Amino acid sequence: MSLEEDFAAIPIGLDLGEWEIVLDEKTIKDRAALTQWQTMDVIDKLKAAPPGQTINLHAKMQFAKFTNLRAAIWAKSEHEFLKPLKMGSKVIIRGKVVDKYIKRGRLYRVSEFETVDENGDVLMRSRETGIHVE
Amino acid sequence: MATILKIGDEIPALTKNAYAPIEEDARNPIHKDDYAREHGMRGALVPGSTLLSYVLEMLYNHFGEKWLCRGRINVSFIGGGAVNGDVLTAHGSVKAIEAEDSGGRITLDVWMANQNGEKVVVGEASCIA
Repeated sequence: MSLEEDFAAIPIGLDLGEWEIVLDEKTIKDRAALTQWQTMDVIDKLKAAPPGQTINLHAKMQFAKFTNLRAAIWAKSEHEFLKPLKMGSKVIIRGKVVDKYIKRGRLYRVSEFETVDENGDVLMRSRETGIHVE
Repeated sequence: MATILKIGDEIPALTKNAYAPIEEDARNPIHKDDYAREHGMRGALVPGSTLLSYVLEMLYNHFGEKWLCRGRINVSFIGGGAVNGDVLTAHGSVKAIEAEDSGGRITLDVWMANQNGEKVVVGEASCIA
């Protein structure tokens, strides 16, 4: 199918699945290094992940779901931080498609994500808009 | 430690030399030089999550622990994006201070510009301080 046909076939409400990640010290520090995070008190004193540490996983969840999608560009990103992502904890990210639209010939998809801990407490809410490209 | 802010104040800016190694499991070719150049970009785009992280670090540096449970951010990625080697500076300027039940919510315009002054991220952030 073409890019446009694949886009047209995406239902609003499509479940993007559920991903788990254990935020051990190495995982947190590796991600901090990748993003050049230098304010280490959040890790060393608060024993938490820097804010936004798991946001890159949202993109991975989407590429895992849309297997025909070759490339995408991030257009908008919205996040609400509700509780720290604690070192040593397991967090679960759930996502779904909430909207899609075409503007100036570009294909925009809007997805929402919720990051929760093992008790079900919501740690972060996110809403992201990406553009599907060839 | 957050200082007392008033409308128009800027929080301390944060500058990063953009760098994003290719992650082995990355699927999006927009982050690879060949594809990006074929599609008219200067080179592999630094991921939006990395650009966002630079802005978030500036906000965390000002608001501290409160950002982790009271922070909100809403940004758009604009212009031609950022490539490895760009010098990016994140900024935040207070645009509103409103009382909420749990404290005063400070809202800032946030943006990040490259070494040529071209904005690559624009938006708004807020935190109850």
